[in-house]
Amino acid sequence: PRSQASLTRSIPTDSLSYLNPKDYIIGGITVSGAQYLDKDVLIQISKLNKGDRINLPGEASSSVIRNLWQQGLFDDVQLNVTKINADTIYFDIAVLERPHLSRLHLLGIRKGEVEDIQKKLSDKTGKIVNENLLNTTTAIIKKHFNEKGFLNTTVDIKQRKDPGDANSVILDVTIDKHQKVKINEVIFEGNKAFKAAALKKFLPKTRQRKFYNIFGSKKFKQDQYEEDKQALVEKMQAKGYRDAAIVSDSVWKHDEESVNVKIKVYEGPKYYFGKVNWSGNAKYPTSLLTRILRVKKGDVFSEEELNKRLSGPTPSGDDVSSLYLNDGYLTYQADAVQTRIYNDTVDLDIRIYEGPQYTINRVLLKGNDVTNDKVVMREIRTKPGQKFSKELVMRSTREISQLGNFDEQKTEPKPTNINPQDGTVDILYNVVEKPSDQIELSGGFGGGQLVGTLGLTFNNFSLRNIFHLKAYRPLPKGDGQKLSLRGQANGKNYQNYSFTFSDPWFGGKKPIYFALTAYTQLSSTGQYYAKDNPLYNYLRIIGAGVTLGKKLTWPDNYFQLNYSLNVDHYNLDNYTGYIFSNGTSYNIKLTQELSRNSLDAPIFPTSGSNIKFTVQATPPYSLFNNTNYKIATPEERYRFVEYHKWKFDAQWFTRVAGKFVIMSQVRFGFLGSYNKDVGQSPFERFKLGGDGMQTYQFLQGSDIIGLRGYKNFSIIPVGTNYTADTNPGSTIYNKYTIELRHPVIASQSATIFLLAFAEGGNVWNDFSQFNPFNVRRSTGIGARIFLPIFGLLGLDYGYGFDKIPGIPDANKGQFHFSIAQSLSGGFN
Amino acid sequence: CKSKFEKLKASNDNAKKYQEAMKYYNKKEYTKALDLFDGLTQRYRGQTEAEDLFYYNAYTNYKLKDYTSARYHFKNFADTYPNSARAEECRFMAAYCYYLDSPIFSLDQENTLKAIETLQLFINLYPKSERVAEASKLIQNLRDKLEEKAYANAKLYLTIGDFQSAVIAFGNALRDYPDTKYAEEMEFLTIRAQYKYAKASTDYRQEERFGQAMSFYDQFAEKYPQSKYLHEALVIKQDSEYGIKRAKALIAEAAIDPKLAKKLAKKDTVKTQPPSEKGNGNTKMP
Repeated sequence: PRSQASLTRSIPTDSLSYLNPKDYIIGGITVSGAQYLDKDVLIQISKLNKGDRINLPGEASSSVIRNLWQQGLFDDVQLNVTKINADTIYFDIAVLERPHLSRLHLLGIRKGEVEDIQKKLSDKTGKIVNENLLNTTTAIIKKHFNEKGFLNTTVDIKQRKDPGDANSVILDVTIDKHQKVKINEVIFEGNKAFKAAALKKFLPKTRQRKFYNIFGSKKFKQDQYEEDKQALVEKMQAKGYRDAAIVSDSVWKHDEESVNVKIKVYEGPKYYFGKVNWSGNAKYPTSLLTRILRVKKGDVFSEEELNKRLSGPTPSGDDVSSLYLNDGYLTYQADAVQTRIYNDTVDLDIRIYEGPQYTINRVLLKGNDVTNDKVVMREIRTKPGQKFSKELVMRSTREISQLGNFDEQKTEPKPTNINPQDGTVDILYNVVEKPSDQIELSGGFGGGQLVGTLGLTFNNFSLRNIFHLKAYRPLPKGDGQKLSLRGQANGKNYQNYSFTFSDPWFGGKKPIYFALTAYTQLSSTGQYYAKDNPLYNYLRIIGAGVTLGKKLTWPDNYFQLNYSLNVDHYNLDNYTGYIFSNGTSYNIKLTQELSRNSLDAPIFPTSGSNIKFTVQATPPYSLFNNTNYKIATPEERYRFVEYHKWKFDAQWFTRVAGKFVIMSQVRFGFLGSYNKDVGQSPFERFKLGGDGMQTYQFLQGSDIIGLRGYKNFSIIPVGTNYTADTNPGSTIYNKYTIELRHPVIASQSATIFLLAFAEGGNVWNDFSQFNPFNVRRSTGIGARIFLPIFGLLGLDYGYGFDKIPGIPDANKGQFHFSIAQSLSGGFN
Repeated sequence: CKSKFEKLKASNDNAKKYQEAMKYYNKKEYTKALDLFDGLTQRYRGQTEAEDLFYYNAYTNYKLKDYTSARYHFKNFADTYPNSARAEECRFMAAYCYYLDSPIFSLDQENTLKAIETLQLFINLYPKSERVAEASKLIQNLRDKLEEKAYANAKLYLTIGDFQSAVIAFGNALRDYPDTKYAEEMEFLTIRAQYKYAKASTDYRQEERFGQAMSFYDQFAEKYPQSKYLHEALVIKQDSEYGIKRAKALIAEAAIDPKLAKKLAKKDTVKTQPPSEKGNGNTKMP
């Protein structure tokens, strides 16, 4: 492209000199070269006014050109001096106009690709069409396809006049992607200590076509290849080959659609650690630092590992920097100097700069455009007056992201305003709001019929603003409260409506969780049969409950204690296939739940555990209600149900090789009675088998426990003869699961992982028969997909090994579909 | 079967479009006007009509309450036509759009700070403008918001029981906004926070920390002799005096009673640093 602009001198050279700038009065301005544009407007834009003073040569003349150039209307702008008459100067603005772009057609590619490219090109309509525009357009398109492995993409741009607009052109861009270029073979030279296969593993994104390379792309992409080469050298150096380097590399065409890659490496000798010397450490003794560094004389030399242990980050915070950074030494630095290298041994001098111990002065929050300050500030553990601690900063960051209102990847803590004089530091938390409301709209099969569901969850609700119309966006938001409404119905046959409101800081003073729930459910055949028909049945439940929960600081601060009080009212009419079929029941229960959750992530945990112990009890009515339970009718017996229920659930997550994670889980439940004569409660029983989804079976307050590889609710105690449909549930169950998981996609917009499982579980009605090792077993595979607005979807295939007497199709191969289970440490 | 409007939008008759856009603007059909203006601003750059077009385009965005776009267009106008009679108005409007985009005090105040900056710039550029009075009033409103934020966030520490943090945060807020209307209340709350901090401290540190609360009281009483909080503050001061006496007596007793000394050493309810998660690693459950 041509030079942007110039101040040319069409007058004697000695009159304008940079050595001797001079003031002139502008005598007149003319414009030349403008065809479509208004000359007066151009003069106005140039900000040159007749009669003004101007200092030449100087800043003023270049700003004239800049002003005009910024309009993006010209291919060239020149400011010429036409005449100097004593103190008066005359200018001519010479412009070179170019046609505008009125439309850009992308030809030769699919519609989806057109949209992608248009996004990358951004709207160039109205810009002038010059060499630069054509070049950048070509380059952007080529880059787009090169990144996808189309290295031979050609772009052809043709210009034609826009018939509707004189000063405009239309561009027809014809794109030919040609074939994708793959890698035929990767060849190594010069390697002795490393096998070629080992070196290939060091190139994670440059992989040759081979039947065993199932995962990952085999395409050749230049930028990833460059990254990989760097990674290769680093990996070799990490193995002790301190001098490792790439001598040369080449990529050449193998055939039309593939290339060969050859890399020549230099390995050099393998080095080992020698003596390690410390200096500059006043706060911590050398013996402690040596222990944390874990480097012994004779260990394989690795600069990468050394730096990691000196400066972090290590996942468990097991490095020297954590020691200092968690104790206020914000400006800690360690420098490992290689003081002597002899034969294959490297001696080190580790020089530590401790700096002052910093105290936090201010805690600042930025980026909360929806959520109120207090919702975030009260969760932050770094508080004014404390010593700076990296660990607490990280924990605060994690807890901010656990609020669910912010983009987890973009929550960034930053120490600012570091003041070494008085040893203070401010901590700034940058957050980015994300949509946190969930909509559930689904249709599915439940009980052999189509069931429609509509659920709305508002995760950042503000109750105090509910009468404050100005705060509606579109609902009152920003106080971190949660409101959820859910309706599920299948005509008049089955209906379920529920409402939940919760506040994590009830009262605003302490982190006390408060929740209020109410629901009503109906199941009836009333739409098909008249009331006197034997097939008529009806069941309605109305319930309400209140929960209070508190995070505990003892034994450690992962514990939580919850209490809840629930009242359920049951109304049954001819509800057959169950322990009693007519009457009204009240289930008034108090629940205490002690849990400890240290999972590192809600969707795909890789470490930590989740343990929950629950006790639930009703008042012992039989002690004081004067009912003779020996002769009582079901109506009398179950008017006020009484029972006590104990549950224990625990799961552990452990990272094994690579990205593989093992989830092991144990669950146990027991439902007991206070009084032998009353018998065991018909409500709140355990139903085992299948996908574990809370469907209409939940009408009896049953606990639904999944066991893959078996039909839903098909696990019945040995010696009973229910079918899966009439199974009223049992009073004792246990279940063990071991699951191997591997992530496929882990991004903000979606998380997908695959799993293989083995599990076993069983139910009993009496402790005398209980045997925790006598379980029905199964194995299988599955996948989970998490999409932010839908929640977690799961599909499993399980094979049950053990026959269930009386239910021939209960075991063997079974598919299971599930929604929103095992999220945030749920159990399934 | 495109509507008349769609046909007009698709046509290349820029003069007609311009006329119609102005008609829509005057009829207050801003969505349609904006639709047409959007295509035209590119076409008319460098031509006489552009000045009017830019001006009305900015106002259309403003009327549609898209203050972010409006602000950009107003500023753009003022930058492009600095000599225009409307430049002053547009500079003011650009700042005013920031003002309208400033949220309530409990959210991120980036736009509030920007609004103050641009309004101040307006006052500096046009010191004689009749809009200066209003700009000053707007700046005051915005400053009130920042003061309220500092006050509320400092008070939050007191509410949730982080007393030491509250003392520091009140101190910072008073340093940032010395003439705020919350000054008196914040200074009183500092006394209360310091007292609670001292009371929850280990007995060995109480004398010093209660002493600090008393000195806060003395400063407060001198500065606000008529304060409505004075009585309550005095009670806190007296409690602090009592607290010092109690702590001294206890420590004196502990000097001759090793059992008590041991008990006192254990009781350290105020931990400036909560116990490290890693520190008690051996008691951690799997």
